[in-house]
Amino acid sequence: MDLIIDFLTQVQASSGVLARWDVVLALLVGSVGGVLIGAIPGVGPAVAIAILLPATFSMDPIVGLTVLLGIYGSSMYGGSIPAILINTPGTAVNALTTYDGYPMTTRGEARRALSLAYSSSFFGGLFSVMCLIFFAPVLAKVAPMFGSREIFLAALLGIILVVTAHRKHTLIAAAMACFGIWLNTIGLHPASYSKRYTFDQSWLSGGVNLIVVVLGLFALSQAFTLLHGDDEKVRLTRLKGSFFQGFRELARHPRIAGVSASFGVIMGMIPGVGEFTAQFMSYTYAQKSSKRPEDFGHGSSEGLIAAETANNAVPAAAMVPLLALGIPGEALTAMMLSVFYVHNVIPGPQLFQNDMDFVVALYLALLVLNVLVVIFLLVATNQLIKVVKIPNRFLGVCILILSFVGVYSLRNSLTDCILATGFGIFGFIMKRMQLPVVPIVLGMVLGGIMEVKLRSAMARVKSPLDFVDRPIAAILFGMIVLVLALHFRRVWLDFKERKTDEWQTSHASTSFAAILSRRRNFILTERGKKVRGRRKTFSRRLTDRD
Amino acid sequence: MSDDISEHPDRPRRGQVLFAALFLICATLLIAALGEQTKWLKGKEFFAQPRFWPAIGVGGMVLFSALHFWHLPRKPRRLPRWMREADWFQWAESLFWGVLAVGLALWLGPLAAAPMVLLVVTVRVTWLYQHWTDRREAKVWASVFEWAAWFLGYVLLVPIIGYLPVTIAFTLMLTWRVGYRDRIMMLSAVLFAITVVVVFKSFLQVKIPGAALYEYLPSALRSFFILNF
Repeated sequence: MDLIIDFLTQVQASSGVLARWDVVLALLVGSVGGVLIGAIPGVGPAVAIAILLPATFSMDPIVGLTVLLGIYGSSMYGGSIPAILINTPGTAVNALTTYDGYPMTTRGEARRALSLAYSSSFFGGLFSVMCLIFFAPVLAKVAPMFGSREIFLAALLGIILVVTAHRKHTLIAAAMACFGIWLNTIGLHPASYSKRYTFDQSWLSGGVNLIVVVLGLFALSQAFTLLHGDDEKVRLTRLKGSFFQGFRELARHPRIAGVSASFGVIMGMIPGVGEFTAQFMSYTYAQKSSKRPEDFGHGSSEGLIAAETANNAVPAAAMVPLLALGIPGEALTAMMLSVFYVHNVIPGPQLFQNDMDFVVALYLALLVLNVLVVIFLLVATNQLIKVVKIPNRFLGVCILILSFVGVYSLRNSLTDCILATGFGIFGFIMKRMQLPVVPIVLGMVLGGIMEVKLRSAMARVKSPLDFVDRPIAAILFGMIVLVLALHFRRVWLDFKERKTDEWQTSHASTSFAAILSRRRNFILTERGKKVRGRRKTFSRRLTDRD
Repeated sequence: MSDDISEHPDRPRRGQVLFAALFLICATLLIAALGEQTKWLKGKEFFAQPRFWPAIGVGGMVLFSALHFWHLPRKPRRLPRWMREADWFQWAESLFWGVLAVGLALWLGPLAAAPMVLLVVTVRVTWLYQHWTDRREAKVWASVFEWAAWFLGYVLLVPIIGYLPVTIAFTLMLTWRVGYRDRIMMLSAVLFAITVVVVFKSFLQVKIPGAALYEYLPSALRSFFILNF
């Protein structure tokens, strides 16, 4: 009880921060900008945050973070608009919204779908912020229990989860995470001042800047992709009437909304998991527990509620590992971490002990943000949907111009721009191959954290078992082992399933005619030639003279 | 995230072998340089060694990209007829690779030769398994250098001519280059360029230096332009 009273006093103190004009402006810019960015397919919050990052360095930490958080939190609201109206998700996490949103539009229920999406997103956002506000005092008690070894293990768990989340592509995701770890080691080793992978180049001795990499991988690569592609023809239907009916409809599904939001909060808090898993789990739950599961994927309101509530509950929860431990769980929070570092605010257990006002102010900002976004959307959706019509290649030109501000304003360095262009080309290739780039960014950030924390943790460790002798360290270690065991089990099951499929599809008829026909085909076809070619490689060919 | 592929297990096959091979080759070259580019300090703990984390990074890159390369669905290319039929060629080739690997091992020592052998194996396997679709994909990758050149040209010109004029000119030219000819798009391009400069340079005061050309402006305008545009 004391905890709650303390906390409410804190809330009162922190609400003063939100009354500052620059914070209010940041909230407005973040919310409106985020919705706009989300509504334009092909931009997305990662591109916007990467571009705006250097501009926020000159601002007060709370102002800068509010803008970035605003974009992060509100882009998913905007992303649902093109997902529902033109079957193209505005941001990647709205992909599941297209499953049920677009079929509703084709039935002539676009307004109902949009208003449901807004109200579910609002509920998800609000639910997660409320959870965190009440959870913060507990977090403040738990966070100081995290020493160097616990933070190292949590970062390691984060990197393992990011890699294993890329199901069926874990190997390349792991290679990319290692690439990120290696990138982070370039430059001078802070403890011994010895050079690492600088190739005697002075511009490499300062290391590779995270923001340069992020701008290249997210912003420039997206610009290249858009410039390379074609414009799409978009036809929009005009929406009439109010958007309030969604709230009434949402109230009829409290169970699905509550469970989905909880999934969002839990998955958001675990580093490396994020929106996709939360959405997948809540959508599956909604479908399994629904009275009409056959409607899912064909315009089911429950499916839409599950998808939108879960994804919007994640941003606030994703701030938990970032603020409490200094460990970002995904690319966007990894970018935000650099804002903290620039202002010398080191997120972690100390932040909760010394700067609780700041943390609570951030949560309150998220709360206000959700309200602002919903008001904006209820009023301005009809005007807003026009941004969907911006042609792709023109958007590419715009992102290219904006990327320049991001990279060049960092240090006014041409080398940074060349490096970012290199990463842009790399990102473009990765996008075309549909390979993951997020592990690179997380590898860079978490690799840096792991290096520092392991060094300081090992100073006090005598035997390997000492590393996990504290309860939280032991739990984290147990989780790492469990995640790896589950992953290898799944790989084994996939392998077995694939083999079974192969055997099932290659069944052959046993009739004599079929055997003869197969034999003839075998001899006549390419495979026959190849096999004979292989067999004769190491044996001399028989000729008439032998 | 946009690049989460867990939702799309059926990614395109074109270019996968080439990409995996290039990544593996780069990773192998990096691991070969590990001894030269990092130091092992005497008397320092194992985990605090400057070489420890780079070794984890490049080691992981080589290991995982090699496994990824191995697991890729691939189809051997159809070699020219004379190669398929000439026994002597296959004998000579096997012998050549064997001699090369053993020679490298004897010359550099087994540890230093291992990355080289891996490199050779990767090049050989890539040559066997790449197809015309990979080559066409490589051309697409190369085509993006045009946009990269535009961007770098923009970066080079801003400190000389000035942020505002170069941004307007660059946006207009690029809009023209990507195929828009109508007046509305051109006007939007100019408006966008001016907005970007005003928001970032004049309002947010991000660090973009005043251009060399602004020095020739009349003194009343000079400082205004340097500060705001």
